[in-house]
Amino acid sequence: MLLNPLTFHAPKTVEEAIELYSTLGEVRLLAGGTFLLNSLKLLKKRGIKTPQHVISLRKISVLQGVKVTGDTLTIGAMTVINDLFSSPHLTDNFAILRTVCRNISTNPIRNMATVGGNLTSRYTWTEMGAPLIALEAVMHFCGTNHTTESITVEDFFKNFAKTEKILTHITIRRDPAAALAYQRVKKLSDVDVPLLAVCIRTHFNDGCFTRTRASINCTTSFAKRDLVLEEFLNGKKTANGIAQEALAHLDTSIYDTRSDDYKKSMFRISIKKAIEDLTRRGQT
Amino acid sequence: MIFHVNHKTYEVDLVGHETLLEVLRDKLGLTGTKTSCMESECGACTVMIGGKGILSCITLAANVAGEPITTIEGLADGENLHPVQQAFLDYGAAQCGFCIPGMIMASTALLTQNPHPTREEMEYALDGNICRCTGYLKIFEALREAGDKMSQLKAPRESALYQYIPAVSSTP
Ligand SMILES: Cc1cc2nc3c(=O)[nH]c(=O)nc-3n(C[C@H](O)[C@H](O)[C@H](O)COP(=O)(O)OP(=O)(O)OC[C@H]3O[C@@H](n4cnc5c(N)ncnc54)[C@H](O)[C@@H]3O)c2cc1C
Ligand code: FES
Ligand code: FES
Repeated sequence: MLLNPLTFHAPKTVEEAIELYSTLGEVRLLAGGTFLLNSLKLLKKRGIKTPQHVISLRKISVLQGVKVTGDTLTIGAMTVINDLFSSPHLTDNFAILRTVCRNISTNPIRNMATVGGNLTSRYTWTEMGAPLIALEAVMHFCGTNHTTESITVEDFFKNFAKTEKILTHITIRRDPAAALAYQRVKKLSDVDVPLLAVCIRTHFNDGCFTRTRASINCTTSFAKRDLVLEEFLNGKKTANGIAQEALAHLDTSIYDTRSDDYKKSMFRISIKKAIEDLTRRGQT
Repeated sequence: MIFHVNHKTYEVDLVGHETLLEVLRDKLGLTGTKTSCMESECGACTVMIGGKGILSCITLAANVAGEPITTIEGLADGENLHPVQQAFLDYGAAQCGFCIPGMIMASTALLTQNPHPTREEMEYALDGNICRCTGYLKIFEALREAGDKMSQLKAPRESALYQYIPAVSSTP
């Protein structure tokens, strides 16, 4: 057997899941399983104890799907990457998520991995973080005694993506005036491991960048914003050459300084390309 | 627990920690689904659930009990091979054959939804299936042929294969 013995639970409601989660000891949540199953196998191989209980969220239908209510896009935590990718609701600022989903891993993984799992599995290299920070997305959790909690994706990652609660859904406000650019670099190996990603959201006001949010994913730490870059861009004209100039205004402390030179240079290239992309759009 | 595999119903005693791959091969004797990397990297263990290709090596069997599962053994209709199987034969798309059950399941999932994929859509849909022998060209030719055949099928048989899956799109 690939896994150690465990007791499997398949609650049908969030309430049941919370009840199990708070009363069973040594428990892990199961969403798409792409992270959990591999990690349980690895622990077994290394002779490390694995949790006694696994609670699957698969049968909880309210955690599935993508919908729009008024100005808000809601993504159920159990929505798989491919279903988000093909959602007809990805218009305006939400459309950037199609590019993000398209680039994640391989087709069977995209058929299995959930958006909620991507955010909460505490892998520093999962990619939903940076774009959702740029989109000012909010995560909604359910805890014991039916308590609910909402936290921005940005704050969630600031707290090292730790949670004892169940993520139920993610919300994003529609913003038709926003312009977004996304760049991603991956390493070609057995598995296409994402190395870094940059997502920049801005608005154009009188030909200038305004309300810019720049977020990055660099595999060695959780997704975060580059406030120095944001400050530099805000108020600047969308002129040619601004992308090059911006490279002298990065918060170097948040980039992966331990990495190889090529990776450092790929970051600069990615940021430059993202700003050039936005500059072109700001000029038209 | 009850499993619906290839239109048959099986009752299987599960402890809870068995993967779907282990149940299919070791308990149901459906050894067409291959065991290779066992860590979600090669696609050899691909089966279809609700028309989507998923990896049975990282699926907890208990988690998909009661859902319609299709394996390579469930594609042929008696003596008649499924159009994708037939095209793989006709086009010499298999060499050692080890990756082929997974490759055919992923291809069938794609063509059921989109019988005329572009080359890019084929590559996208099969990007999780690694073949060390064929160089993929014959596989893509087989897919084109199989897709034509499948779109000519007037009334696809009622099966898990024909359930709705979201369209595979090209680069946005
Ligand atoms: C081969 C391979 C390639 C990959 N490539 C990429 C890639 O290119 N880009 C990328 O971004 N990611 C990649 N990944 C990571 C993948 O996206 C994550 O493993 C996946 O998103 C996790 O989601 P899941 O639904 O499978 O989570 P699971 O494995 O089911 O869950 C993992 C853990 O997440 C937590 N969790 C899950 N759902 C919830 C919830 N609703 N509430 C609270 N906690 C929860 C629990 O702690 C759970 O134990 C890759 C993974 C593999 C195996
Ligand atoms: S055996 Fe499942 S992906 Fe390789
Ligand atoms: S035919 Fe040998 S691995 Fe594909």
